[in-house]
Amino acid sequence: MKKCIVLFTVMLLLTTFVWAGGQGEAAVEEDATAVEAEGPVSIDFWTTQTQSDRMATIQVLIDTFEALNPNISINLVAVDENELATQLNTAAAAGTLPGMIESAAENAVAFGSEGLLNEQAITKVVNDIGKEKFYAGALRLNETASKGSYYAVPFHGWVQGLWYRADWFEEAGLNPPSTWEDIKKAAEYFYQPDENQYGILVGTKAEAYAEQCFTQIAMANGAQLFDADGNLIFNSPEMKEAVEYYAELAEFTPPGPQSWRARDYYLQGKMAMFFYSTYIMDDLALEENAADSLSSENFSDLEGKSFDPQLVQNTRLAATISNTQDAGYGTIVSFGIPAHGDQQKIDAAQRFIKYLFTPNAYITWLHMAPGGMNPVLKDIATNARFQNDPKGIFQHYGAEKMAEIIQGLDAIETFSIVEGKRMADASTIYSKQIIPQMIYKITQQGMSVKKAMEWAENEMRKVM
Amino acid sequence: MKLLQLNTAEGLNLRQREVLLGWSMVIPSVLIILSLILYPIMYNIYLSFFDVQPLAANTYIGLENHKNVVLDPGFWNALGTTVIYVVFTTLGTTLMGLFVALVMNQEFPLRSLARSLILFPYIAPVISVVFSWQFIFDPVNGIFMDITYERLGLFASRFNLIGSPSTAVWVAVVFSIWKNFPFSYLMILSRLQAIDHNLYEAAEMDGASGWQKFRFITLPEVYFVMGAIVLLRMIWNFNKFEEVYLLTENVRVLSVYTYFKAFVGTMELGQGASLAVIQFLLLLGFILFYIKRVLKW
Repeated sequence: MKKCIVLFTVMLLLTTFVWAGGQGEAAVEEDATAVEAEGPVSIDFWTTQTQSDRMATIQVLIDTFEALNPNISINLVAVDENELATQLNTAAAAGTLPGMIESAAENAVAFGSEGLLNEQAITKVVNDIGKEKFYAGALRLNETASKGSYYAVPFHGWVQGLWYRADWFEEAGLNPPSTWEDIKKAAEYFYQPDENQYGILVGTKAEAYAEQCFTQIAMANGAQLFDADGNLIFNSPEMKEAVEYYAELAEFTPPGPQSWRARDYYLQGKMAMFFYSTYIMDDLALEENAADSLSSENFSDLEGKSFDPQLVQNTRLAATISNTQDAGYGTIVSFGIPAHGDQQKIDAAQRFIKYLFTPNAYITWLHMAPGGMNPVLKDIATNARFQNDPKGIFQHYGAEKMAEIIQGLDAIETFSIVEGKRMADASTIYSKQIIPQMIYKITQQGMSVKKAMEWAENEMRKVM
Repeated sequence: MKLLQLNTAEGLNLRQREVLLGWSMVIPSVLIILSLILYPIMYNIYLSFFDVQPLAANTYIGLENHKNVVLDPGFWNALGTTVIYVVFTTLGTTLMGLFVALVMNQEFPLRSLARSLILFPYIAPVISVVFSWQFIFDPVNGIFMDITYERLGLFASRFNLIGSPSTAVWVAVVFSIWKNFPFSYLMILSRLQAIDHNLYEAAEMDGASGWQKFRFITLPEVYFVMGAIVLLRMIWNFNKFEEVYLLTENVRVLSVYTYFKAFVGTMELGQGASLAVIQFLLLLGFILFYIKRVLKW
């Protein structure tokens, strides 16, 4: 009996703790809304930079900002780009939207057109920094349907292209892979699965990477999702050709569904070409960055484990792909302020974003991945400190080549801008990953191109 | 003692006090169950009758979601995959567990070390184990292909065992068996250790063979333990998400299919809710059947 009573009291205590715990949290939340405008505020910042070393650098920037603004605290949260739509929608439904997010401009537009982002708040940031300081192309990708208003502010960007083994091409007497025909010819030539060597990497897993590869290929054939009047024209002969061509290329990739991670095979000398962003530049040039892509030392019997210092010299980039027309592709990464309606948090996010655009903070951020993260402000691109990156990438590739890449940011084309008009539905289609799913169905599940395209069109109409 | 009694149970007789004590002890867990389990289930059932929009009002559409789910061939594929997954993993974990338990019940040197080593797959964190499996089965760099194709020449070409939709389910099955058999083993072994040795000695006197001893003594003794293990494993694996999803997204068992339906791409939250309801009903029906027929309660 005595035991029972002791147990009972313990249980009672525990329940009170649980009860008190719940109460405490509610009280904190009330506090946050009750304090005056000058009081402390805490915001979540969702970044798509999920690698720990990048998060550490961003944290340093946050710490500096917090030291300058003692009333604001910023909580860094890493969210995978592929999960972003799911997470943000869930947060919106639960009323826990973060204070600011980093995302591809394409996603920002999709979120914005769903009403998840605060356009006024971010447009003010753009105007405060000065619209004329941005590259116009980068800014345009974030514009809403009405001119001069933005869903997000561009921050950095990368250019995509087909990276290839110039030495192999030379030896085989093949043309650089910048046309549909030359790409296919080379992919077929270098595809030697018996030797564990593969022709090309295009995305075949249902992920954003597949759409990034596909967009450039489709654009090169003049295929669009929408015409200038906003009608869905997915079912066009150009698009069908592009899908068929893509499926053919997929035959020459390593077996099974593949994503960007398979670029490791290139670094191991087992692949001739792969679609990738300029993020690859430091991995190609620096051994410590490449280590991640090579087999572990624990498995010395497995092939392809050591760093190839010649690889960077032997690698070239075909930034433009063409068939009936030239196509360049890339992504602008932007900051958006979610529509949570809390003025104090909006102020904090605006202040933090403006801080990130100050030269010191900006260059520190960009130097996390030289080549991959390129500035969207014109005067930063020519800034001497920016060009002197700690990893020596600019030195490695030459300032001229780098300038060319940065210029490429201005010429990025996507499905969501047709003849200068914004197609918000195209961004939604991108963010719902309909095209990657279609590619997966064709290349991995053996669905016919015709059937898969019908399926995709049907899904697209559902989300429009 | 006196004081406590005065505070909590003054003026009650012994029986009433027992009742009060009983209730006060179960109330916390009842509250937790109500708020964390029953409420979400109810809310989920409620949602399954609506067209759910995360940012707008839900509209009532009756059985439309359920109809759409059942008419979608993807659902039947997922159900088929789930049945394959559940049947083979349950059979595998139980038989493997039984076999290992029988071996570990024998006397041999370093037995206790071997017994604890066997538990490793069960206690290792899923995520780290999953990464090593993905590495092992990588088509280009993995150990599996290196041994079977490169060194032994068993296959005509390299292939992506863990990625291809047709083979991935079998990798998931083997993974689950490997990961979870130690649980069955542990349960069965503890039952085996409780079997009276006299039974075996008596059987030997009567000239029973090894198989007969197993068939007529061991098996009846462990029957109910195995029955319970099978039931638990079926429930767990019918709802299994993380082991399958983390290993390969291509195995669309019902829980993974529901996740994709509800949260990826076009995000059909209402259909996701209705899928969860259907899955719940299927499981409930199965449990009732099983308890009546196999466990004979």
